[in-house]
Formats: sequence, structure tokens, C-alpha cells
Amino acid sequence: MHLVPLVFYAAAAAGYAAHFAWRDPRTGRLATSLLGGAILAHTLLIGMQTMQAGHAPLVGTTAAISAFVWLLGLAYLYVELTTEEQAMGVFVACLLVGLYIIPALDPTVSPRPPVLQSPLFTVHVASMLFAYASFALAFVLGVTYVLLFNEIKAKHLGFFYARLPSLQVLDAMNGRVVSIGWALLTIGIAVGGVWATQVQGSPDPRAQAMSVLDPKILVALLCWGVYSFALVARRAIGWSGRRAAWLSAIAFVIVLLNFVPVGYFLTKSHNF
Amino acid sequence: MRLFAVGLSHRTAPVELRESVDFARGGLEAALAALAGRAAATEFVVLSTCNRAEIYAAGDSDAMADALGRFFSDYHRVDPDRVTPHLFVCRGVETARHLFRVAAGLDSLVVGEPQILGQVKAAYSAASDLRYTGALTNRLFHSAFSVGKRVRTETGLGEGAVSVSYAAIALARKIFGELKGLRVLILGAGEMAKLTGVHLKAQQVAQVTIASRTLATAERLAGELGGRAVDWAELDHALGAADIVITATGAAEPVLTRAQVERVMRSRRSRPLFVIDIAVPRDVEAAVADLDQVFLYNIDDLQAIVQDNLARRAAELARADAIVEDEVTRFAAWMQSREIIPTVVALRQRFEAIRQAELSRLEPKLSDLPPEARARLDEITHLIVEKLLLTPTEQLKAVSDAAMVMAYSDALNRLFRLAGEDARERQADRAASEVRSR
Repeated sequence: MHLVPLVFYAAAAAGYAAHFAWRDPRTGRLATSLLGGAILAHTLLIGMQTMQAGHAPLVGTTAAISAFVWLLGLAYLYVELTTEEQAMGVFVACLLVGLYIIPALDPTVSPRPPVLQSPLFTVHVASMLFAYASFALAFVLGVTYVLLFNEIKAKHLGFFYARLPSLQVLDAMNGRVVSIGWALLTIGIAVGGVWATQVQGSPDPRAQAMSVLDPKILVALLCWGVYSFALVARRAIGWSGRRAAWLSAIAFVIVLLNFVPVGYFLTKSHNF
Repeated sequence: MRLFAVGLSHRTAPVELRESVDFARGGLEAALAALAGRAAATEFVVLSTCNRAEIYAAGDSDAMADALGRFFSDYHRVDPDRVTPHLFVCRGVETARHLFRVAAGLDSLVVGEPQILGQVKAAYSAASDLRYTGALTNRLFHSAFSVGKRVRTETGLGEGAVSVSYAAIALARKIFGELKGLRVLILGAGEMAKLTGVHLKAQQVAQVTIASRTLATAERLAGELGGRAVDWAELDHALGAADIVITATGAAEPVLTRAQVERVMRSRRSRPLFVIDIAVPRDVEAAVADLDQVFLYNIDDLQAIVQDNLARRAAELARADAIVEDEVTRFAAWMQSREIIPTVVALRQRFEAIRQAELSRLEPKLSDLPPEARARLDEITHLIVEKLLLTPTEQLKAVSDAAMVMAYSDALNRLFRLAGEDARERQADRAASEVRSR
């Protein structure tokens, strides 16, 4: 059952790639339907896991990645259906497949330790994941901006020129999703902080390790700093366009590092 | 009923002649009404653009093509000897092939240009609004619309700008999204500067500013374009405000240097600047292109894009042709299946006639029946005839092969003595003309 979404995500990625290459509208519609199917299958899977475990599968990095993939897919689908812009699909779908491999390999749902039984925990995880999904979209927008920018700059109008929306649109969308992501990240970190002080007295060693110096928390704060800078720089010193694109691309690499290597191997506070 | 197309286009006639037979000039309605008054056609559509004047018609008479040809010279009061040698005539499926190629932009002067599909649609709706179209022309034109749409979405035939000015505008759109609200600065006040200004005005940019070494010439051009002139000394300020800069001065040395643009860019925050240098020799230092957020294109770059696009369009021709042929085959099959319809109608009429005849023959015996029983009898006999004809009708309508249509029609005509002598002769004529047209 847990492999069904993977198959769908991979098929959607292939569909988006084919649509990107040959621009056949039927392939485009098929890719969108496949992504819709993937999200539906994923929703059913998450629903089943919730019923089996008695709580939403948000405990531990693997479950968080699964939820992140689900949210990103949903967010992208929303953007696609409202803007009728499909060119980002191939980039987003590839990211979805790459990340979903992890939960597909390890589908077990971790039990929820007592320390996590707080509504604050759910708010914290949900807003963090939504923030990361926004940053993932910003990353894709940034990368495509740079690709298109380079083509126009080099006077070599080809593949991306024919397929991507204008630089102005990519830049404006980038600014918007970074703002949304930043707001959610701020909420997520703030709620996480409040909740961490509440569980300070808990005997759980992970609750004891909740400190600014824990790698996971430290890198999350670093991300907040980088995205805050991106926002301020855009408004105050005119860092839009290519600089903003690079910034959102690099910042998301930090997010991913925090997600996978740090989340699995380095943190002592977030290894549920 | 047969389809015809008679007309002339940029392929067959010089521009002076095309101008003198322009149907759009006097109004399409007038031309359609005149056509309705005289030609033997029962359905017709007039397509008139600057590159073509064509009449699409459906009718029974084979002499219709000649009548339509004469209409060109009569209606426009032009010497027939001047027009006739340039007219082309399409018959039957050829008509569909021609119209499909026209709608797809394959017959256009600039292959793949998109306007023609809209013009074909307008020509059709002008005729259909006035009820000059019928089953055959309706199907023909709707098929043509879907060919046009398929070629546009499934091939790259209409993609990429094929003139320097459109290449520049397409580039500007890729950088800025919409051109509305953009500010344009033109350096120079010569003929090239003026042409570019006119072109950009048509794109509804927010503001056109003209800067020239002599303020008076800049002001003159600004007056013509409805723009604003600035003094050369204020160039930095004007550059800072502009989104697109077009340079077209006759200066021998570059008028925009890297140092100057770099200075200006600092005040712009990362707002992109699109510089189009259409002057020969160059007006802009090549090093300007190295600056971040500056896109510099000169006339050679734009020409190279146009060449690329033309080559790419040529490569898409085969795919567009395949779509046209695909739709022509489909349309031909539909036309063939229509050939059987008179036979189907005749067969049904024959059966109904037999039923009526039998009912009236039995009239004396039925006269005692109460009215409800009479109605019931009528209904039952009608149902029996319908049931008997259901399968044959369906089967006949599904036949699309020409030879099979002929064979079936012939067999049914003989078996049920459907057609009168004259109808049979007409059918023989048609068969002969089919053979001739092959």
C-alpha cells in the first residue's frame, strides 16, 4: 500500500517530463491527473495510518517527510490549477519522488511518546512542514528563473525560453511564496519554542535536549535568518530577480540538509 | 451535393489583382447576398483577406465552379480575362484539403501565422449568421477549425517570432511579462526610431520617451508618437526610469557605454533593463551585456532568432501536413457516408408508402373498427416498419468506403426499385465524374 503513492508520483514525474519536452496538452492533463491520483493515494495511506495508530503520523523524520511530500504536492497542485502554469511540474514532481523514496522504504508508523501529546506539537509540525513546502516551491521558481535568465542573457533562446513563464512572473511568485513560507516558519518556530518550555520538566531525554544549540533547532533558526534576509533584502535593497532566485535556491538546500542528514543523524532533540 | 472552392491567393495572383477582387471592402454581407441571388450553390462562405479571396460553396450542379469563377469578375466589374487565369478551383475532398491548409496557416505568406484561423472563423460566422451555410459547409468549416487548433497545439508551426520587431517584443514579454505599464526610451529620432516607436505604441506601453542629440528633432518625433522628449543631458535620469531602451542613432561611436549603464543600474535596484540596439554601426558597447540584470540584443542577434524560428517552423511542416491529411481522411469518410443518405431516405419512404398503401387497401374492412383500435393498428404497423428498417439504416450509415456506398445503393435501388429513371441516370453521371476526378 505504501508503494502505491510512489508509483503514482513517479508516473506523474514522467508525465510532467514528457509534457515539458513535447508540450502535448493531453500529456499535460494526464500528468496532472496522475499527480492528483498520487495525492489521493497518499491521503488514503495517511488516513489508514492515522486510524491504525490512533494519531496523525507526524512522529519522527520519516513521517514528517511523508507529510511534507503530501503538502508540497497539494500546494503545487493548487498553484497549477489556479495559474494554469504547468512548466514547474517536472521539477516539483522529481522532488516529490526523490523525497518520497524515504517513507516508502520505511512505512512503519512510530508510536507517539507521551511528551508529544500536545496540540502545540501538531501546530508546530504542520506550520513547519507548510513553510518548507512553500520554500520548495520557491526553490523550483528560483532554479527556473536562473535557467531562463541565463538563456536570455546568453542570447541562446531555446528549451526553457519556449516553456517557462516570464522572468517577471517567476520573480513575483517567488517573492510571494517566500513571504508565505517565512510567516509559517515564524509561527512554527515560535510554537515549537513555547511547547519546548512546557515539556522542560519531562523525563524524556529528547525534551531535555531542546536547546538552541541542538543542530536541528540551530539550522532551523539559520533558515529563518536566511529567509528573513531574503525578505528584507527584496524590499529594502532591491534584491529581486537573479539574486533572490539564487537565495531561495540555496536556502532550500539548507532546509533539505536540516530535514534529512541533520534530522536522522545529528539531532538529539528531534529524533522521535 | 458537392463541395467547391474557387478563388485566388498570394500564390496564384499578384497583389493588384487581389486588391481589385477584395470582397471585404464592400462588406461580406453584400457579397454573400449577391452570391445568393445568382449562383447555383445552396451553401456558401466567402473568405476575403489581404492575401486571398475565396468562395467555398456546396451545390448540385457541376457547372457551379464556372459560375463562381464568373462571379469574381462580375461582382467586382473586372475584365474576366484578367481574373480567370489566376483562379484556382477545388472540387470535393480537394476543397477540404485546401481549406484545412489555409486554416492551419500552411497556405499563408508567413507559414504558421495565427491570424488566418480567426479570419476563417469570421468568414464562416458571417455566412452562417445569415443562414447561407448548410450541413456540408458547417461540417467543413468546423473540421477546419479543429485542424487549425490541432496544428497550433500539437506542432510548433506557429511558434517563435518571424520578424525582427516581433522577436524583440516576444523577448520583452519573456522578461517583463506584460508590456502594458512599461516605460520605453528611444535614443535617436530617425526613421528607424520612428518605426520602432509606432510598433511599441501599438503594444500599449505606458510611456515612450525620446532622446536625441538635438532636442528639436526629439520633440518633433515625440509629437508624432504622442510621447515625451528629453534633453540628451538628462539621459542618465531617463535611463534610470526606463524598462526598455531602443537605440537607433546614426552615431559612429557608441552612445551608451558600460560605465554609464553601470552607474544607472545602481539606482535601479534589480529592475531588469532590456536594451535593443538596432543601429548600424552599434550604439551600445558590447560590454554592457556583462552587467547584471541587463539584457542587450542588437539587430544581428534578433535576426539570428528570426532565422532560427523560420528553420524550426520548416521542420514542423511535416507534422502539420500529417494532421491536415488525417482530418481530410476523416472528412472524406464523412462525405462518403453522406452519399448513402438519399438511398436511406428513399428506402424508408418506400417502406412507408407500402404501409400506407396496404392500410388504404384494407380500409373497407377496417371501417367498422372503433377509433382507438384504428390508432393502435396504425401504431403497430408503423413500429413493425421501424423495427425492420432499424438495422439496415444503422448499417448503411456506417458505410464510408466509396465503392461500398455505390454497391449498396445500386443493390437497394434494384431490390426495392427505389429510384426513378432520372435519379438512376444522375447516379451514373456521378459515378462517371468520380472516375474522371481520379
